[in-house]
Amino acid sequence: MSELADALADLNEDEVRKLVREKIDAGVDPMAIIVECRKGMDIVGERYKSKDYFLSELIISGEMFKEAMAVVEPMLKAGKQVEPLSKMVLATVKGDIHNIGKDIAATLLTAAGFEVHDLGIDVAPGVIVEKLSETGAPILGMSGLLTPSFESMKETVEAVEQAGLRDKVKVIIGGGIVTEQVRKYAGADAFTNDASEGVDICRGFAKEGNK
Amino acid sequence: MIRETMTPGERVEAAIKLEPYDRVPVAPLMDVMFPCRRKGMTVAYGISHWREGFQAIVDIFDEVGGWDAMILPGYSLALTPTVASGVTVALGTGDYRFPGQDPAVSENSQPQYAEREQLTAEDYDEIINLGWSGFAEKHRERFTPFSPDQIIAWTQRQTEHYTREGETWAERGIPSLCGAIVESPLMFLSTKRSLTAFTMDLHRIPDKVQAAMDAMVDGFIQGAIEGARLTRIPGVMLVLERGGGFYYPLKIFERFEFPYMKKMVEAFAAEGLLTVMHFDQDWTLNLPYLTDLPRGKCVCELDSTTDIFKAKEILKDHICIMGDVPASLAAIGTPGDTEAYCKKLIDVVGDGGGFILSSGCTVPADAKFENFKTMIDTAKGYLPAR
Repeated sequence: MSELADALADLNEDEVRKLVREKIDAGVDPMAIIVECRKGMDIVGERYKSKDYFLSELIISGEMFKEAMAVVEPMLKAGKQVEPLSKMVLATVKGDIHNIGKDIAATLLTAAGFEVHDLGIDVAPGVIVEKLSETGAPILGMSGLLTPSFESMKETVEAVEQAGLRDKVKVIIGGGIVTEQVRKYAGADAFTNDASEGVDICRGFAKEGNK
Repeated sequence: MIRETMTPGERVEAAIKLEPYDRVPVAPLMDVMFPCRRKGMTVAYGISHWREGFQAIVDIFDEVGGWDAMILPGYSLALTPTVASGVTVALGTGDYRFPGQDPAVSENSQPQYAEREQLTAEDYDEIINLGWSGFAEKHRERFTPFSPDQIIAWTQRQTEHYTREGETWAERGIPSLCGAIVESPLMFLSTKRSLTAFTMDLHRIPDKVQAAMDAMVDGFIQGAIEGARLTRIPGVMLVLERGGGFYYPLKIFERFEFPYMKKMVEAFAAEGLLTVMHFDQDWTLNLPYLTDLPRGKCVCELDSTTDIFKAKEILKDHICIMGDVPASLAAIGTPGDTEAYCKKLIDVVGDGGGFILSSGCTVPADAKFENFKTMIDTAKGYLPAR
């Protein structure tokens, strides 16, 4: 593993800043720097799974990743973008304005290589369907913290069905109080209370989609 | 129905003191939201009309034939009438979006918290020097547009409402458990700095965060004790979410959360006050530490994300457990599901005493009435065959 990936995985902010700057100054391909940072995030994910890391380390590493990307991405040559693992649409559903869980998920999904179309909070079913149609994203992530969000999630899945997109879109729901019972009620394909697990589920969806 | 040989007060006290009871007591965490919807008024109306909103709670109590205790007597915050406490509440409520006042929050939604960085990393130094009250009073205008006189008048009115709510239940023979509400320093700073910023603070400037917590905790303790004295309800709700194993490793909990929790619980116990530790999110990892808290002097209130059965294994004979009918079950489950879950709780967590059946956190606004009633009826009617 590279020095940069290790420094990110060890949450060493100063070292990551220094290494990113050195690599840019040395003319290293920005894409290679992004790949190294993603490897660091993968190690963080592994440490989270083995319970050596917690949500706090996901947050810290996510902030470090975002800071590094803010420096590196402008260096990418015009038109040269990293090929995403998959596109996905993400939103906190209608009637719910909580953003913390969704934002953490968005950061981790982006770091994992997803092209995340984050629609924000209090997003109506029609807006979600429109974005799915526009982007062709095969994954929809919906977040909600309150019980009324269950109904909004259900209505959104129904709207996706009515738009004829349901067989093309995998749906995952997340939030502090979602359960298997809520997943069934909403008609989603998966649920999670855990942002890192959510990334793994989306990776699985992307893999299925690429077969 | 079980033949009852204890009053609600005796039953709840027995559960808290880990003594035998005639049946498992039941005490939902009842806010104004669910009763308002049941009574056909909007949540927005109930929140802004104290008399009618509180009456809706009393009416639903009567409609289901009553329960054994109010965890909080109503929905008015009890506050020490000082400028600092008013500013503190303004900091907490400033980013609450209230039903009917924000286009994203419908008239029947519960208030929703839009977290942002109300305190900055630079504020720690002044909090360390001035303590929380001194900081809050000095920077009042940053957090609230109201004058000191207006703040004090408002907090006095809140406390009067709260006291009246407690008296209403006492007249019915129903104890209220918490005469004041307080957060741990970690919970307070995390929600006012925002989760991400506060987590970065713990990573970047841990000594400064700890020094600020040291400067805050005694004021928090004193304010809660004074609040409980004013309302004459001998207990404090200690609101906890952010310091547990869902968010942080034990090394953070051991340094930034547990010492302050312990200090608060012990200080309240020394004043004869019960502490209801209101745990949101999953604290399963942290449960073993709770055996270090004074026996029979606090309640561990769980919201269904902590493993309540593991809690029983670890805390039995030491701390009363309260909970934890999940909000999702209340909202989209059936009476059959609810009855089965409540029976399991009574069988396992209620075994040998030290359990109060309750909602997992607040009864949600969209709970089904039949599910709620089933929870109450199951506590009153189900006696495990032992």
